[in-house]
Amino acid sequence: MTERFSYPDDREAASAAQVRALEALLIEKGVISGQTVDKVLGYFESEMTPLNGRRIVARAWVDPAFSDRLVADTPKAVSELDLPVGMAGAEGEHLAAVRNEPGVHNVVICTLCSCFPWPVLGLPPYWYKDPVFRARAAREPRVVLTELGVPLDDDTEVRVWDSSGHSRWFVVPQRPAGTDGMTEDELAELVTTEAMMGVALAAAPGAGTR
Amino acid sequence: MKLQHHLGGLEGLEGPIDFERRVFVEDWEKRIFGIHTAMMGLSASLRDALPGYDIDSVPTTFDSTWTWADLRTGAEAMDPFDYFRLRYYEKWLGGISAFLVEQGYVDRDEFAAATARYRADPDAPLPGRAEPAIDAQVQRYLREGDSPRRGPATPDFAVGDTVVVADPPAADHTRLPGYLRGRRGTVERVFEGNYAYFHSTGEDGLGDPVPVYVVRFDPHELWGASAEAHAGPLYAELYQSYLTPGPEARR
Repeated sequence: MTERFSYPDDREAASAAQVRALEALLIEKGVISGQTVDKVLGYFESEMTPLNGRRIVARAWVDPAFSDRLVADTPKAVSELDLPVGMAGAEGEHLAAVRNEPGVHNVVICTLCSCFPWPVLGLPPYWYKDPVFRARAAREPRVVLTELGVPLDDDTEVRVWDSSGHSRWFVVPQRPAGTDGMTEDELAELVTTEAMMGVALAAAPGAGTR
Repeated sequence: MKLQHHLGGLEGLEGPIDFERRVFVEDWEKRIFGIHTAMMGLSASLRDALPGYDIDSVPTTFDSTWTWADLRTGAEAMDPFDYFRLRYYEKWLGGISAFLVEQGYVDRDEFAAATARYRADPDAPLPGRAEPAIDAQVQRYLREGDSPRRGPATPDFAVGDTVVVADPPAADHTRLPGYLRGRRGTVERVFEGNYAYFHSTGEDGLGDPVPVYVVRFDPHELWGASAEAHAGPLYAELYQSYLTPGPEARR
């Protein structure tokens, strides 16, 4: 009997050694430099992070006209803000925002791979790439959202966006109640990556993080 | 027919979703992400990119095309059991390693020896060769990207048109989610401009610049009796190559 899903005991150590060997050989052969990989990672640690998306959403919450522009022409609206250089760079060339409203909840998925708006949210978390999530969210998003703790009444229309083309989609969540008077910076703190993909809601402070 | 093309809507995967919020779950995963992204930033295909990268002046020995299409083609070619068995970046590591060996950048035996060396001494340092011009090109690619937009839109369909999704032969690589094949939808949005794809997908139909649409699908059209209660619409972004006129538009 063949075990189809067995893993070697040294699964992680073997991969770690393999990737280090690969990087070392690519440096030796002149494909990349000794700093290339660190510089790529640094870019995603310091500049292309979910903070950009949080700031975009917070601005949309305090400025309804900006919110409308963001949905109508996302790249142009994003370029109005003082964000790091590169918002239209790799995996942000064609950003597209959809907005949650009373009675409408949007979820972004990628059933073929893992398309994700890097400049807005950084790199995709593991759940987004989970084959079970990708299979189920297409067909039964309401069931999935309930499992993930997102309350939805029957009258709320759930719209699923499958990222199969050139756009990189994200969700503008609804501003939570009880946040009147908060500053834009404070509001930005309420926005999570999960809320900007539609698998969570933005919550007021003290109202739970889901 | 490939399972990886038909993951969306696949039934039977009723288990809980792994709601892991981390981007990387092992440190080594960061390194293969960095290698992949550097290869995209040095890809020979960027010669034709809109930002006008001077790829030929970059002092790298890399002279191959490496794009998302190449990475995705590898993932779609995998044994479906392995596709489910392996974590996301394990698939990347396998696909990228195979490509670099096949293209001759890395010798198979040399690779095995270096892997054994780092297995025995995981903290052994990496070579320290500096080459700022390589890093500058990769950084520039990250900031300026590789937009596929080419030329004005030449749409055959308009907002509100009914379309039926084509059912081309299964190719090595596709951007057509399997669950949409043969389904009827309504054009919701026509994007400005035409959009190319990284490389031709053959009979599948991508490559040359074509219009792209957002098409809205009724969940009952897609899933029939398997649609969930109170199901809402599904929107997919589809290249014109994947669309045919709806029944009322046919002669």
